Amino acid sequence: MKARRHFLSTMSAALIASMCVVGAANAEVGVTDKEIKIGALGVLTGPLAKYGNTVYDGIETVYEEANKSGGIHGRQLVYVREDDRCQAAEAVGAAKKLIHQHKVFMIHGGACSNASLAAKPEIVATKVPWVITASTAPSLTYPVTPHIFTTMLAGWMESYAQVQYAVEKGMKRVAIIAQHDNWGRSRYDPLMEAFKLHGIEPVANEEIVPDPADATAIALRIQAAKADAVILIAFPKAAVVAVRDMYKIGYKPFMIGGSTVGDVGLFTKNVGIPGATDNLHAVSTIGYAADDPAVAKWKKLVEAKYSGDTFNIYHMFGIASGQFVVEALRRAGKDLTRDAFNKAASNLSVNTDVYGGPITCTPTNHQCHNTAAWFGLVNGTTKRLATTIVTR
Amino acid sequence: MLAYLLMSGIATGALYAMMAIGLVLVYRSTGHINFSHGELFMFGGFIAYTFFVILGVPYFLSLILAVIGGFVLGILSDRAVYRPLIKAPPLTMVLATVGFSFFLKGIARYFWGSMEGGDYVAFPAAMDPSPIPIGSIMVFPQQLLILAGAIVFVVGFTIFFRMTRAGKMMQATSENPTAAYLSGIRVERVYTLTWGAGSAIAAAAAVLMAPMTLLSPDVGFQLLLKAFAATVLGGLGSMPGAIVGGLLVGILESLGGGYVHSGVQDVSAFIVIIIVLILRPAGIFGVRNIRDT
Amino acid sequence: MQALLARRNIVAVGIIVFAILPTFANAYIVFVANLALMYILLSVGLNMLLGYAGQLAFPNAALFGVGAYTSGLLRLEFDLPYWITLPAGAAFATLIGLAIALPALRLRGLYLALATIAFAQAALWVFGHWNSVTYGGAGFRVPPMDFSPLPIDPPTGIYYLSLIIVLVAVPLGWNIVRSRIGRAWVALRESEVAAETLGIDLTRYKAYAYVVSGLYAGTAGALFSALLGIVTPESFDLFQVIVHFCMVIVGGIGSLWGGVLGAVILVGLLEVLRTFRDLQEIAFGGLLLFTVLVVPGGAIAMIKRYLPGWNEPLRRIGKKR
Repeated sequence: MKARRHFLSTMSAALIASMCVVGAANAEVGVTDKEIKIGALGVLTGPLAKYGNTVYDGIETVYEEANKSGGIHGRQLVYVREDDRCQAAEAVGAAKKLIHQHKVFMIHGGACSNASLAAKPEIVATKVPWVITASTAPSLTYPVTPHIFTTMLAGWMESYAQVQYAVEKGMKRVAIIAQHDNWGRSRYDPLMEAFKLHGIEPVANEEIVPDPADATAIALRIQAAKADAVILIAFPKAAVVAVRDMYKIGYKPFMIGGSTVGDVGLFTKNVGIPGATDNLHAVSTIGYAADDPAVAKWKKLVEAKYSGDTFNIYHMFGIASGQFVVEALRRAGKDLTRDAFNKAASNLSVNTDVYGGPITCTPTNHQCHNTAAWFGLVNGTTKRLATTIVTR
Repeated sequence: MLAYLLMSGIATGALYAMMAIGLVLVYRSTGHINFSHGELFMFGGFIAYTFFVILGVPYFLSLILAVIGGFVLGILSDRAVYRPLIKAPPLTMVLATVGFSFFLKGIARYFWGSMEGGDYVAFPAAMDPSPIPIGSIMVFPQQLLILAGAIVFVVGFTIFFRMTRAGKMMQATSENPTAAYLSGIRVERVYTLTWGAGSAIAAAAAVLMAPMTLLSPDVGFQLLLKAFAATVLGGLGSMPGAIVGGLLVGILESLGGGYVHSGVQDVSAFIVIIIVLILRPAGIFGVRNIRDT
Repeated sequence: MQALLARRNIVAVGIIVFAILPTFANAYIVFVANLALMYILLSVGLNMLLGYAGQLAFPNAALFGVGAYTSGLLRLEFDLPYWITLPAGAAFATLIGLAIALPALRLRGLYLALATIAFAQAALWVFGHWNSVTYGGAGFRVPPMDFSPLPIDPPTGIYYLSLIIVLVAVPLGWNIVRSRIGRAWVALRESEVAAETLGIDLTRYKAYAYVVSGLYAGTAGALFSALLGIVTPESFDLFQVIVHFCMVIVGGIGSLWGGVLGAVILVGLLEVLRTFRDLQEIAFGGLLLFTVLVVPGGAIAMIKRYLPGWNEPLRRIGKKR
């Protein structure tokens, strides 16, 4: 009897000991004593490459700053980038590669909404924490998945803000020029909702292709509709042509742009005609113009680290998101696990250096950024005109 | 409204026509379609950008340098791609030129893509960009420059073809390569010249167009598709057809965008291709080689 | 040695590798292998049209899209089970393939190429603009597939379903190209006039080529919508046209097994190219040029040269065996 008890206690001690060993060996995926491996999922090649790479350059700059000051609880952040070419099939492949091949602790990135949506089921199934930097589809974070967060304005927010702005400025006849590709649609659809909410109809609703050679037809149609304001949903390549051609026909409506033309000064330089953008106000995710002294520190760091980069709003997406993630990792503590990270990130508010308001996640809201800023030209330089918190 | 639409249709159409001329030139003498033509166009634009914006060379000199650069690039592409495949079936040639187009696009993106932050660069106008009145409408000086440039290049090309020895050799070769060869024309050299000339005129079109849009490594492909539409409309082997086809596609797009809806502006070119090929496969001016490769 | 490396053995090894892959490879590798299986269908289908029937036509990317949209939409809107939506997607793509065959029959050579490229571009426009049906540029999500009576998870299920379809489709193709139809294709590819004098109904056999290739593309599309769970227009852009085309040429035009090889090579290549980042396009373009210039016959020509056991009667199709 005694021998047996002795045997049992020895066994249980051995069992507990072995469990401890297993526990130590089973430290969280992607985390060692020296480093935390984080994956970037986004577009790195092709026409949209800049909208991915530039954001990740911003993130990596923040990581490097954290690493220089000793890392997160002694661990260095390692950033692995995988390309999704902004395509659904590639995004699924990239997510699976990051999760199963690179075995990352978490994913930090996502630039194209459709690609991110395609990758989501895999990320949900594997419960890998994911902080989205630039994809804007609201269904990525709503309804809430405990381990998916976004530090970007949702697509609808800019659109709602644009319509709201037009109404506040007393515009009666509002027209739309929008791209109808997947990016454009993620803003165009909520824009139409917002119009409905305000009980107004767009007086003209024109489509522009991403690579137009000419937009005179569009400009004329909007002029014929006697619009006093035009909401622009277009990348700079298209917006430049539209703005020039409206100016050409001598039509000067109030123009309400989005993030893509948020750096109004740079956009004006692209348009190349003095005065053509005097009536342009643009809503943006970020809180400062690229040449604002408030962000000079980051401009210097980014341009020193990536000699080919010119500091711009996309870097700032990355910097804000990077600062949020670094803080969440720090709060998650020394024994870093995915659960600890999710818990830390779900109850966190970070005032970043580059956004107009804090990034705030709560357990019931993972759309963590909702402060949009308005920009326009004042004496030839880009100035923040206002900030607004967007709600639905 | 009509005047405006016609004006911008003609200006864009002139660019399509210049692109189409290059395509037709190569097609007539070699029987192949150059799927990298759009990227040769784009590359010409970036060569001009390098001179004009980075090195501060005047616009017109940059234009000429880009045309020379385009010519050299065309010759290089002939040596690298066409010459080794001279006897290959059309399919192989299609893939080779597609591969070459990716190659050029990649290089452009690598060297120029990130220069101004986005995936595009701004190409400032040659002169004061403020619009000026012509009759009842306002036009950009650059639009007039496009028209003038297109006329100069098209007339120059015609003279080159009709008057010069090299031009006559090119014509002879496209009519009948074997006979040309037998009468002492070095056919391979003529092919080289053809690729160079096609690429040079594409470069000129790019330099004329760049100030109207932003220049990006992806700009060539759309232009190539429009040039396809122009050549199909005009008849694949016809030089006047290419010019008329280009102008027609430009005007059609503009009118479609203005009077029907802005959404159909871009797709109208493809609808043109399909309808023309179904109803009149030889195009407006196509007379020989009907339906044939 | 020669007997060991016979085609039958190599194909058998290939099938076994694909069959046991999910038991040892990670989810990423399985996904890539699944893409390869799907592209085998596209490549084999296009090869029949391009390589055997000699039609310089590129309708496949659009038909691939039609298959994906049809099966995805049926699944989404009517909640139909997959064993209905998959054949429906394939059937509808086949039908569209037949519909475009009618005007395309009048065209040859580069005119045909341009017309079908225009068709691909127009189809892309329809996918992106027919908002009430296709959900426009934003695309739509497809409800996940359910293998509920069987104890397997969806990715594994789709993988084996794809494998089974490939195991049916490739031998079927092999039989088609060796049948009366395949012989007629080769005859009309070599000379339409000669084929006509032999009593081959050009219209009918050309139409068959479009129909078969539409069937393969549509089936692949239906698998694609299930595999990704999302259907968006940009998945069927001209890059797809180029990828399919490359598969056929890189593998070996006019060779069914070349099509199979080409699909596997291209999918592998695109995954390897991920690591090239900025240089990806340069590398892709350079590799295409290299293939065309150095191995013009494609991978299958290399195999034939170095593996004497590979006794595929490539250029003897159509002659009496």
